Amino acid sequence: MKAFIVAVIAAIALGVLAMYALTSNQKFAYQAFATTGARVSEPGTNLVGEKWTGNPSTNDTGESAHGKATGEPSNPKRS
Amino acid sequence: MRRAVTLFSTLVLATTLLALPGAFEPAQAQNPQQQDGLNPMGTKPTADSVNEEFLFKQNSKITGRISIPDGKAANLIQPQGREYQSFRERYLPWIGAAFILGMLAALGAFFLWRGRILTDDTQDSGKKILRFNAFERFTHWMTAVCFIILSLSGLNYIFGKRLLMPLIGPEAFGALAQWAKYSHVYLAWPFMFGVAMMFVVWIKDNIPNRLDWAWIKAGGGFIGKKHPHAARFNAGQKGVFWMVAGFGAAMSVTGIMMLFPFALLDINGMQVMQVIHSLIGITFIAGILAHIYIGTLGMKGAYDAMGSGKVDLAWARAHHDLWVEQEQAKTASGPQLGRRHPAAAE
Repeated sequence: MKAFIVAVIAAIALGVLAMYALTSNQKFAYQAFATTGARVSEPGTNLVGEKWTGNPSTNDTGESAHGKATGEPSNPKRS
Repeated sequence: MRRAVTLFSTLVLATTLLALPGAFEPAQAQNPQQQDGLNPMGTKPTADSVNEEFLFKQNSKITGRISIPDGKAANLIQPQGREYQSFRERYLPWIGAAFILGMLAALGAFFLWRGRILTDDTQDSGKKILRFNAFERFTHWMTAVCFIILSLSGLNYIFGKRLLMPLIGPEAFGALAQWAKYSHVYLAWPFMFGVAMMFVVWIKDNIPNRLDWAWIKAGGGFIGKKHPHAARFNAGQKGVFWMVAGFGAAMSVTGIMMLFPFALLDINGMQVMQVIHSLIGITFIAGILAHIYIGTLGMKGAYDAMGSGKVDLAWARAHHDLWVEQEQAKTASGPQLGRRHPAAAE
């Protein structure tokens, strides 16, 4: 039983470790694919909206909007 | 009169000949495409000169032109995607159900026919021998726990929206599927680590030899009451070991390809990886169901080996007689005495 409990704890610990390792280098598409020559617009919200109605502007205005892109903005150069 | 009839007939014929091409013209205009897919002489030469069929004769995909670095975004139509979707949405659920329910039905039928495999009590009953040490059990259970969660979350990809969502509703299913996806992606790593550790720890006892053939010919103790000779692992257990090693490796490679999409493969490659991952995954689950059955319900005393690590000496002699002899000889020979060793019978 002790081996089983230690195994479960180890599995969770390794899973959490994997989570941090995998997510630490992830970028949003608008950050990853923006270059000096190409600006990818920041979607800001989930494109289908919080209520999955297809209208993101009506219900994704709150702070807790589901799918709202977070992280460092790309600060695209505007000409 | 006769002249008037002739004149009228001539007029009718002339009208017919003039009207005939006009009657077919709308049909040609609606379907201007020639057999080779090209229609350079269509009513709208620019629009009709190139069509989907013609483009697919040039390339397997129809692509556009983009300026962003993500070249995949240029892909417009890829017919293989339709074949993949057909497999994913139409065939895969049936293949999965057939394999898994088929295995459950086969195990149920086997249990009804053979019942629980028992070991006759002998004078050795009551004495215990250590079969798997703590590290071996830890490795097994870490891999097993991850496998069960990976299996359930993997099956959710195939069956969740069909079976679970109608029962619990889209909101609950959405939350559950999200967590299932997290667990699938992150617990894959301890699973891969566990498979690698099990491979290293047990490969020396899982090399196939002549004894295995004799074990298979004797029906492995499943048919009849006599148990054939076996060392630490019999041919059935070696089969499970190599299945886990092979399928585990295949699932790891295809899974990593999906965890890092398009890192090495294009869209076709991604779809092929998903097909291989799902088909091997289903076979893997069916195989492990048989392993779970024989390790718990199917054979009395088998679970103790991975539960407490210690098995009844009579059980060990019946199922792994050569291993018991070998290990007890080691213990009796001297150098191992006083050391903690898996073969030390208590």
